[in-house]
Amino acid sequence: MSVKKRAKDLTLLERIYIPEIIKGLALTLKTMFRPKYTMEYPEEKFVPPPSYRGRPVLVLDENNEERCVACGLCSRVCPSLAIDIQASETEREKERYPERFEINMLRCIFCGLCEEVCPEEAIVMSKDYEMAFSNRENAIFGKDKLLVPVSQLKDRIEFLRSYK
Amino acid sequence: MPKLIIDSKEVSFEQGQTVLEAARENGIKIPHFCWHPKLSISGNCRICLVEIEKLPKLVISCSTLAAEGMIVHTRSEKVINARNAVMEFILINHPLDCPICDEAGECKLQDYAYKHGTGESRFVEEKNHKDKRVELGPHVMFDAERCISCSRCIRFCDEIAKEAQLTFIKRGDRVTIVTYPGQQLDNPYSMNVVDICPVGALTSRDFRFKARVWEMSSTASVCQGCSRGCNIDIWVRNNEILRLTPRKNEEVNSYWMCDHGRLNTFKFVNENRVGMPYIKSGGELIQSTWDAAVNKAASLLKTVNKDKTAFIGSASASCEDNYILMKFARSVIGTKNISYYKYIDENFGDDILRRSDVTPNSTGADLLGMNGYLNYSNLSDGINNGSIKAVYLMDDNIVDKDPSLEALFSKLDFLIVHSSNMTKTAGMADVLFPSAAFAEINGTLVNFNKRVQRLRPAVALKEADRSLDGMNVSRLDKFGTGYDRWAQGRKRDALSGWKIISMIAAQLNNKFKYDTAEDVFNEIVRSIPEFAGLDYELIGKNGSDLKVKIAQPTLKA
Amino acid sequence: MDIWITIGFTLIKMLVIIVIMFLSVAYLVYFERKISAWVQDRLGPNRVGWKGALQPFADVFKLVLKEDIVPDAANKPIHTIAPVIALFIAFSTYAVIPFGPSLEIFGYTVSLVVADVNIGILYVLALTSIGVYAITLAGWSSGSKYSLLGGIRSSAQMISYEVSMGFSVAGVLLLSESLRPIAIVETQGAWLWNAWIQPIGFITFLVSAFAETNRLPFDLPEAEPELVGGFHTEYSSLKFAAFFLAEYANMLIASALIVTLYFGGYNIPFIDINSIGLAPWLAVAAQVAAFVGKVVFMLFFFLWVRWTIPRFRYDQLMNLGWKVMFPLSLLNLLWVAALIMIFKM
Repeated sequence: MSVKKRAKDLTLLERIYIPEIIKGLALTLKTMFRPKYTMEYPEEKFVPPPSYRGRPVLVLDENNEERCVACGLCSRVCPSLAIDIQASETEREKERYPERFEINMLRCIFCGLCEEVCPEEAIVMSKDYEMAFSNRENAIFGKDKLLVPVSQLKDRIEFLRSYK
Repeated sequence: MPKLIIDSKEVSFEQGQTVLEAARENGIKIPHFCWHPKLSISGNCRICLVEIEKLPKLVISCSTLAAEGMIVHTRSEKVINARNAVMEFILINHPLDCPICDEAGECKLQDYAYKHGTGESRFVEEKNHKDKRVELGPHVMFDAERCISCSRCIRFCDEIAKEAQLTFIKRGDRVTIVTYPGQQLDNPYSMNVVDICPVGALTSRDFRFKARVWEMSSTASVCQGCSRGCNIDIWVRNNEILRLTPRKNEEVNSYWMCDHGRLNTFKFVNENRVGMPYIKSGGELIQSTWDAAVNKAASLLKTVNKDKTAFIGSASASCEDNYILMKFARSVIGTKNISYYKYIDENFGDDILRRSDVTPNSTGADLLGMNGYLNYSNLSDGINNGSIKAVYLMDDNIVDKDPSLEALFSKLDFLIVHSSNMTKTAGMADVLFPSAAFAEINGTLVNFNKRVQRLRPAVALKEADRSLDGMNVSRLDKFGTGYDRWAQGRKRDALSGWKIISMIAAQLNNKFKYDTAEDVFNEIVRSIPEFAGLDYELIGKNGSDLKVKIAQPTLKA
Repeated sequence: MDIWITIGFTLIKMLVIIVIMFLSVAYLVYFERKISAWVQDRLGPNRVGWKGALQPFADVFKLVLKEDIVPDAANKPIHTIAPVIALFIAFSTYAVIPFGPSLEIFGYTVSLVVADVNIGILYVLALTSIGVYAITLAGWSSGSKYSLLGGIRSSAQMISYEVSMGFSVAGVLLLSESLRPIAIVETQGAWLWNAWIQPIGFITFLVSAFAETNRLPFDLPEAEPELVGGFHTEYSSLKFAAFFLAEYANMLIASALIVTLYFGGYNIPFIDINSIGLAPWLAVAAQVAAFVGKVVFMLFFFLWVRWTIPRFRYDQLMNLGWKVMFPLSLLNLLWVAALIMIFKM
């Protein structure tokens, strides 16, 4: 009866192990002299591509008015319940605006569903990834921190339009 | 019984029923916008088109009478094509307002567009523009663009509210709804048009933009506005009541409720609450603790001759609270001075839903035997001539109704008050207990027609835990934590009247052994013959009639 | 008078060695982190000082500032004494390892070894065996299951590998006919090193040295995924630092020992230093440099292996120890015996 050779069966040379170790050592030695790709963060900053999903922000349009109509879809779709909105009435044509719009950045998971569901292109994912808080209260971003002029978000909006 | 076949299912019907009604009773859903079970048939929306064999064209099922042997198809290709076409037609001029529309989430048009629409529009031209913010009346806002001209609101005013206030003007795609010249949509039932509007054309000015419907929990309860006891849903977000809507109950209120009940009976739950027990000291109410207040009340009750103490229940409180107050007065204190005030407002009642008795539970209080009622002068006389030295008052702001009592109350040895709000009466108390409002408790009310109906907690008290205590929860309640602002709605440190009284009884060495309001109700059932045979389960969502019937004008709707 | 001078020189040598050991151990940690980074295409510590050169001091500073936590279930005296044993063993072993030949200073002959003991190798083996106690006691006294398992593994591992280590060394001893480290170094000369003469013995010794120092691929006693931290799970602050230093000091000793036993110690390869005619102090310096250079290479090898080879499974470790290393070291003994028979008789 012949025993079928299996892929995991080792040859004698492999079983002695020492040549394999030497191969491994050669590989790591080679790696030691390769160029490094580390980005030295605080001095050198990563500029994300448009596809990057950073901190969600609210868009201020060309007339310096918020686009958001407080429809609550982002809040509804948010899987981690990070978004809290209180709508109110405005005299402007769109009738409705967010009196309070808060994103709890401790809950946010940067999934981008809010951006995807938004009917007004009012909430988009920015390139901002620098978020550190010293307490929970600071992690709740209100409209003051969320509103960003549309000119700073051109990249992302173009990216979104090319995929919608 | 005659029979017809709908979608190859044999269905029996009553003579005079339409095809749509016959289908509905048998669980076959035919879409409809303009048809409403309580309104006349208008037949203008065309979404309920069905195919009936041997008829040359599709017919609208809402106005076609069912006939023996009819063969109806509601899902044939022809019908589906027709529905798609009707949806497309209705949507031509319907604006894409869903994001800013309050109806979104409970909108018939939205639902049907998903179910019966084709998903896209071939209409590339400019949509019609009409007025978007018309104040039809004090409570209702009208958006003409969203209107699909089903005429439900017009028919409601004509047929149910019996005040013709609305009408169509113009024709074709310029048709719109206005009030008659010089009139407003201001009948006492005007806000029902908001509920029956199948789209977001009519919205409540009170609730406008306050919350999306999917953010709230809804709890079945009973209106506090009058002794009709209309069935309602209480809509709560972040432990705050945002709106009330009528809940269908053919025995009580059908599909409707009045504007007074809808707007004026819940705000007190949200505002100006008594947040904790208080004890009066040096003429001012000082914040205290439950233990201290209960001790104080118990020791005060010992100081006055039992026959000179009056107990006043409330026609607004539940049967449970009134029963325990009565039991406490009789068996613990040993007095027969028990009564309550009845509030009659002849101007309020009408022959639709409203009753002149503007308290929800006076029938219940009567049935429990809260003696023939005192009227104002009786209590006043009693205090004046010194036969009443102390008053224990539960859930009734009587000073507001009769300002003369203010002076009389200062003559009393003491006044103990349960109150949910910081009212004038509450301000006069020597010991003030924060009592739970109707939306925070389990309990029963008996309406004028001797129908027992349940109150359920919609707003959580401090002692309650929404999910553990089986209260209805919204998604936000369910997944929120104490750290989320939207889950931090204030929980008041209040208790049901029966709980407060049981604590005082315990202090006076009388153990009242009740864990829940249901325990109290079960004792009522055992001891009061009129309630015999009832329990909470039997009362359910729609209530249960007591055996003793009094002849009353029935609901005309 | 002479005795006082000898004592004086010995004290100076001790001081120099201890300082050098502390410094080299500190920088060993630094290079360990650097080499691991390089192997993984990273930069490694580069924040403290030039290219992170002051990192070791920052590390030590951090460890000193940490709170010393002793578990309630621990046997406190033993828990405290275990790291002291570990550190003591690690440092005292170095006493017998020569880092250069004799030197004439002010007319006195000073040998560049702290203690030129004639049973030096035995001394090393004895002390490293005591080292097991530090780890076993630490594991046992911590009152934690992870520590205990780590301690037990460690003692089993060390005892197993000490056998093959001992037999490997026996081969070297046979050749040099002495237990004196200096004698062993002198026997090997400029190029006739034991590593070439008895390659099997060299490999078994090398592998056993890895196992004895608890270095990867044999760091089973502290296998993080299974045992949290192993025997030092419950140690913090300075006590933890002691274990940490001891591990690296052990590595230094193992390297020095390998160089002494198999790479001709302070001999400069292929050059007879005394025949070139350098100034005597220069010759000694060259020899010390040769020794240091060899040790540095061995240390690098230790680090290099750590970041190349994954950890063995425990049963594999035991199999390797008893079924491979032990027979091989016996084979080596036979081989050396045969060599001696052929060449010396």
